[in-house]
Amino acid sequence: MEPHSVHVAFGASAALVASLVFVAVYALVVSEKLNRAIVALLGAGLMILLGVVTQEAAINGIDFNTIGLLLGMMVLVGITGKSGLFQFVAIWSAKKAGARPPAVLIMLSVITALFSALLDNVTTVLLIVPVTLLIAEELKVQSYPFLVSEVLCSNIGGTSTLIGDPPNIMIGSALDLTFNDFFLNLAPAIAIVLLATLIPMWLVWRKDLVTTEEARRHVMEFNEWEAIRDPRLLKQSLSVLGVVIAGFVAAHSIHIQPATIAMFGAALLLLLDNYRRPAEDQAHNVHAAFAEAEWVTLLFFVGLFVLVHGLEAAGVIRWLAQELLAATGGDFKVTTFAILWGSALLSAFIDNIPFVATMIPLIKSMAPVFGGEHALMPLWWALSLGACLGGNGTLIGASANLVVAGMAERAGQPIRFMAYLKSSFLIMLLSIAISHVYLYFRFL
Amino acid sequence: MTVGSLMNATPVTVPLAETFAGAYRLMTSQRLSSIPVVDTRGVYQGMFDFQDVWELLLPRAALLGMESLTNLAFLSEAVNKLHDKLEQAGSRPIREFLDATAPPVHPDTPIKEVILLFHQYNVSLPVVERGTNRLVGMISPWEVLDALQ
Repeated sequence: MEPHSVHVAFGASAALVASLVFVAVYALVVSEKLNRAIVALLGAGLMILLGVVTQEAAINGIDFNTIGLLLGMMVLVGITGKSGLFQFVAIWSAKKAGARPPAVLIMLSVITALFSALLDNVTTVLLIVPVTLLIAEELKVQSYPFLVSEVLCSNIGGTSTLIGDPPNIMIGSALDLTFNDFFLNLAPAIAIVLLATLIPMWLVWRKDLVTTEEARRHVMEFNEWEAIRDPRLLKQSLSVLGVVIAGFVAAHSIHIQPATIAMFGAALLLLLDNYRRPAEDQAHNVHAAFAEAEWVTLLFFVGLFVLVHGLEAAGVIRWLAQELLAATGGDFKVTTFAILWGSALLSAFIDNIPFVATMIPLIKSMAPVFGGEHALMPLWWALSLGACLGGNGTLIGASANLVVAGMAERAGQPIRFMAYLKSSFLIMLLSIAISHVYLYFRFL
Repeated sequence: MTVGSLMNATPVTVPLAETFAGAYRLMTSQRLSSIPVVDTRGVYQGMFDFQDVWELLLPRAALLGMESLTNLAFLSEAVNKLHDKLEQAGSRPIREFLDATAPPVHPDTPIKEVILLFHQYNVSLPVVERGTNRLVGMISPWEVLDALQ
């Protein structure tokens, strides 16, 4: 419970007030009638104003390691994107596939998964989708299968690392897990899931993706080196990204948190990109770099952390954990699979960020029942796999899905909710079934 | 000083029934960057301008707003493909290309407002009668610059 003596408004129970505020926030986020950052920040404010938590406790509840890691990576990737690196890689990969549409589909999907493992998913699709649309247009084939495959692979690739998807960043930060912890425990499952996703995509679409020799020749004539707009910035970005990723890998042994590494990397790249410029240009450049960060997402996180801290302080999380344990009979395997499948099904329809934010303290509170914090690791991997892969189930399941749907619409090739659901929900269920088997044999 | 005193009161116009090819021919033969489109009663319907032609010629990936491709230097030279795009669009009605980005102004609109709109939109502006929306002229940056000399 809250260490300070707090006075809840109207003499109501803290648990009741915290639950009502939280449920109202959740409902408004799901309804998408109000921007999620507005809703989360209002909810966080209500938690304090209604006396569930004090301002000091609310600030302590914000995980600045998660916020710093996200902000640092957003700035890093935003600057790197200006160099033309992602267009270069996409064009290079399409040419390596001989501009044959089914092979291009696979190559671009794998590239998307790899980028998503190292960068956040939304940024990855924002950079890959425009060049994908261009290649599909030049090949005179529909862009739909490329875009859907990239959405799926973005969420799949992001699941394999600490920095690939916000749920992993949150879990990693809450438990002090390293880049290597995620990679070593989740990447094998993700490799299988990726294969199991691409094979049906290839089988279903290869007959429809037919082009002409002339169209192929056009794509093969693309000069990928011309896509690089700023070679100096490219070298600087690749160097700093390399150092940052090496830092994540070595974070545990050098005892440095991921937020420090990402923010230091962002500051270093800003320095390299700006030190030769006049002061006025620097101000403009730095302003643009920070403006490109997704502040809606970052402030949504801030609000959520306060909300979840309010629930925790009011004892609601502990009660929920007891209920979950009662439902699973306190059986560790059943609890693991309940978390995996429950996370996947819920994340297909609701934002996985608030869900994971709620589940973190809930799972933590199960430690005494299951023999300590270390024994809980399979539950964390189940949460990560379920929440990240579950986002593939529907068009609204993850931020990357919505971003791609918006871009497809503007390009005149809309992705419809039901059409996406029909193909992708099954693929999502398959990925969770693979994760189920993987968790069983690897950890249980 | 108002728009009415400076505008070109006899602008070249395109009828709403015209095709893309007809409007394109008029644009190139008269060396116009934008032409107002009117219906049979002379009511202003929108502008046909360079932007409409560029949007037709560019790949969709360059027209996505903030997420657009901002570099096409890597594309192969294929001028015949651009010709093909123009030819394919030739028979499409001009109404499909109308651009309502530039707001119409009125004969009594002050010049300072027009200068602000030139700064924001960088195009010539249609001048319409209040209430009926009937086109009564066009005002381009040249008319304003000439008047200020």
